[in-house]
Amino acid sequence: MSAATLLARLYPPAVRERWGVDISREVTAAGIRSWPDTLAGAVRLWLQPSAWGDNRSGQTRQVLTVMLFAVVAATVLALRTVTPSTALTADIGHPATSLWLVPLLAGVALGAPLPRPRPASLRRLAVVAARTLAAPTVAVGLLLAAAWSGIAEHVTGPADLALVGYYWATLAFLAVRCCTLVARVSAATVLPSTRRLSVALPLFGLGLAMAAGQSLLAGGRTGLHPGGLAVTAVLAVLAATTVIAGHDLRRGQRTAD
Amino acid sequence: MHSNDAQMLVLTVLADRPLHGYAINAAIEQLTGSRLGPGSLYGALSRLETRELIEPVEGAGEAAERHRTMQITAAGRDVLRAELQQMARVSAAGLRALGATPT
Repeated sequence: MSAATLLARLYPPAVRERWGVDISREVTAAGIRSWPDTLAGAVRLWLQPSAWGDNRSGQTRQVLTVMLFAVVAATVLALRTVTPSTALTADIGHPATSLWLVPLLAGVALGAPLPRPRPASLRRLAVVAARTLAAPTVAVGLLLAAAWSGIAEHVTGPADLALVGYYWATLAFLAVRCCTLVARVSAATVLPSTRRLSVALPLFGLGLAMAAGQSLLAGGRTGLHPGGLAVTAVLAVLAATTVIAGHDLRRGQRTAD
Repeated sequence: MHSNDAQMLVLTVLADRPLHGYAINAAIEQLTGSRLGPGSLYGALSRLETRELIEPVEGAGEAAERHRTMQITAAGRDVLRAELQQMARVSAAGLRALGATPT
């Protein structure tokens, strides 16, 4: 695949369908100096779903739902790198440091596709879920078997590195397949409305911003280390992404009304 | 380039005649001396189409299906006219303040 085709593929699906061929041709003609503008254009459009131009077909809602769950997956992976943490807890015993979870979970609940209460739809949902999650379930099973067997405590050197690599690869694989599942089940579920998504995205972003703020405050007190700072930055970027996209969606909704 | 500037340039060249993406950029280059980057150009086209200020030309042939030919709509002409009139007022005021006369 050429760089031009790859860059065109970074655009939101609705834009890619209409302009993908032209973007690819323009990038090929302009050469490497056009790459930064092409990349920036893709980022700007992802943050502006009201400009995708397919609001009636439901594709925007499907893509945004998958995008929300991709951000959820990225958040879980980022938080896993700093677990256990005293700055970001997730239990009712520490309400002050667990408060960030409230808007975050509310956002996920609002943005989740809901199963249709019909036997055929539920059957289809179960089949799609089983097919999509079979491979990551096996990978997680192998990971758990390795953990319970006690191998992890005895390996050193390259074998230890390989085990850590397998652990993160499994988590990443599971995250990707969960997003794939959200994309595949759209026909058997009721997708969240644009209005619901325009609330869900900023709510989720608020939770992420609170988490980033808490992490930064805790770092300021105990001293920032590069890993913690990187996770804070990732959370802040994800927060900005969801808040901006949600704000644009709400503005587009108001214009449409 | 700012996305609004890019949208104005696209509307300006489409006010003359329908064009496809690559030709739009060629016309902008002729007008301003430089081309828009692909991200700026197709971002502007996508936004303008969503706002219904431009639309694809119907039945423009098989080649045009791969490279969509776009034309300005009546709403697009109104927006362009209003923007250009405002820019003309700003330009005239600026030139007056500089003691220059519009060319």
